[in-house]
Amino acid sequence: MTSPALAATGLLLEGLGYGVAGKPVLAGISAHLTETRIGIIGRNGSGKTTLLRLIAGLIAPTEGMVRVDGIDPAGERRAVIARLGILFQNPDHQIIFPTVEEELAFGLRQQGRSQAEARAVARTMLTRHGRGHWAGVSVLALSQGQRQFLCLLAVLAMEPATILLDEPFAALDLPTQMRLRRVLDALPQRLVIVSHDPEVLAGLDRVLWLEGGQLRADGPAGAVQDAFLAEMARLGNADADADLAV
Amino acid sequence: MLTLTSPFETWAHRLPAGLKLALLAGLTLVLVPLGDLRWIGAAAAAVVAMYLAQGRGFAWHGLVMLRPLWPFLLILALWHGWTGEVQRGAVIGVKMLTAVALANFVTMTTRLDDLIAVVERLARPFSRLGLSPRVLAVTIGLVIRFTPVLFFRTGQLLEAWRARSPRRAGWRVVLPAVLLALDDADHVADALRARGGLD
Amino acid sequence: MERNVTHIALFAALIAVLGLVPKIDLIAGVPITAQSLGIMLCGTVLGAKRGALAVLLFLLLVAVGLPLLAGGRGGLGVFVGPSAGFLIGFPIAAFVAGLIVERWTVGIGIAAFAGAVTGGIVVLYVFGIAGMSLVLGKTLPEAALLATPFLLGDLIKAGFAAGITRGLARVRPGALLSRP
Repeated sequence: MTSPALAATGLLLEGLGYGVAGKPVLAGISAHLTETRIGIIGRNGSGKTTLLRLIAGLIAPTEGMVRVDGIDPAGERRAVIARLGILFQNPDHQIIFPTVEEELAFGLRQQGRSQAEARAVARTMLTRHGRGHWAGVSVLALSQGQRQFLCLLAVLAMEPATILLDEPFAALDLPTQMRLRRVLDALPQRLVIVSHDPEVLAGLDRVLWLEGGQLRADGPAGAVQDAFLAEMARLGNADADADLAV
Repeated sequence: MLTLTSPFETWAHRLPAGLKLALLAGLTLVLVPLGDLRWIGAAAAAVVAMYLAQGRGFAWHGLVMLRPLWPFLLILALWHGWTGEVQRGAVIGVKMLTAVALANFVTMTTRLDDLIAVVERLARPFSRLGLSPRVLAVTIGLVIRFTPVLFFRTGQLLEAWRARSPRRAGWRVVLPAVLLALDDADHVADALRARGGLD
Repeated sequence: MERNVTHIALFAALIAVLGLVPKIDLIAGVPITAQSLGIMLCGTVLGAKRGALAVLLFLLLVAVGLPLLAGGRGGLGVFVGPSAGFLIGFPIAAFVAGLIVERWTVGIGIAAFAGAVTGGIVVLYVFGIAGMSLVLGKTLPEAALLATPFLLGDLIKAGFAAGITRGLARVRPGALLSRP
């Protein structure tokens, strides 16, 4: 049992579970995540995205609990939004505003800054990343990788201490993946990266392996990666995927 | 996509859709001009009996489908309570509930594809005006196919909002939702053309 | 032909989605369903004919039992209830809104607002009030009284319809079928 003071930092999951219409998607997830680089690996449908959404507070657990720095993310939205950002897989499903500047300024405005202030901070941020000329540009003029980068900037603008990333490389071509990796590696924040590709998780401090909604392994990247790859090879060599989820 | 057809199978489910619709039209026309509370009460009692005859689960479901009418019942109660015309209020209220319950009964006991078949039969005379029944069927299928998809993706937009704001989403998510609909329209048009088109 | 069909189908789906998603805030703290906004947008974005067809398609699917009306309502019952007048007015509202955007060659924002108000409020309320008057047994002025609390919300929605249409014209000019 972690001491109360220690538990007040980092991501604390205790018996965390989530079910929809009686069907469990996640069950019994317990871990205290304090490392800086954390990975969550698993096959499609293993509950990785649901776990991320629970940590971000976008959904509330149906059993157990999750705390971000001692805060209940589903209950205390304002507090958790200040500490934690989430980057979804497809930028087209998360960009709300038509221009780059507006999309960046949104989170800042929601944190209480004035329109002028938010715009100014957004512009400064873009300039700092060598993209000052993006400010008034329509989002549609950006490539897929550039949009993903915009989403990341929008999250960084709110200065979270932790960033959750759901399959951030999945939709990107190789050079863009490499660029994004470099950017992510340089970030001081705690990163929790979800992927179904073990390559992505090389070098992370700690990796959780989710399978069928449960925690199959939890440990340093190397060991979990090896076990995961072995299992995937075994499954890949076995026969077709004909079973239906329901 | 889930429809409002009741999962509780009843004998009424087996009647042909066209017959039920015709009966509904006829009975509604008879019901509407009634002004005497006794006749309306009798009609209401008959409808209630018809529901109960299908089983308690079915009848309960029928009651739930009437729930959205409660604000109007409240308005009638307050209005007629104030003016003192309580009987007239009862007439209007009971008639309204009966008419809606009667129509809902057909909805609850008829399957989607049977109703669509009726629609296509009714649309056939209009085919000369340019409405091909096949195009109608494809269009209906598209709406049924894409409403859940659009709903899911709009939900993702709403989540992207909630991930950055503690406040409820505003009208600003409607524009990206419209863009999603427009993009889907283009993609599906291509897919249709690639499969031979509609002409 | 395919493009018309898919636009009509997807906008019918959009009306449903705008009614099904959790209520959005039209102004801070005031939750309204966005469904009638969808009706206005069918007209202002797709134009008169396609907009009306999209709404008719939507109503057809409601009639055959899909719970596409705000609150998950649907079925034949809604067409004999107190809001039946509004339902009947929906496609006509979209048609009028679209007609104004197509024919009145002022700036898109103004035209869309005028269309949304004329179609989505004036025309729609005429039908809606008539329907309520019939079903609730009230005179037309009395039924009009019952409709007035929604007027402000609908005016705001018309404003947003105009803003969204204008935003769309800026962001994706080719997409505005009402002004090709």
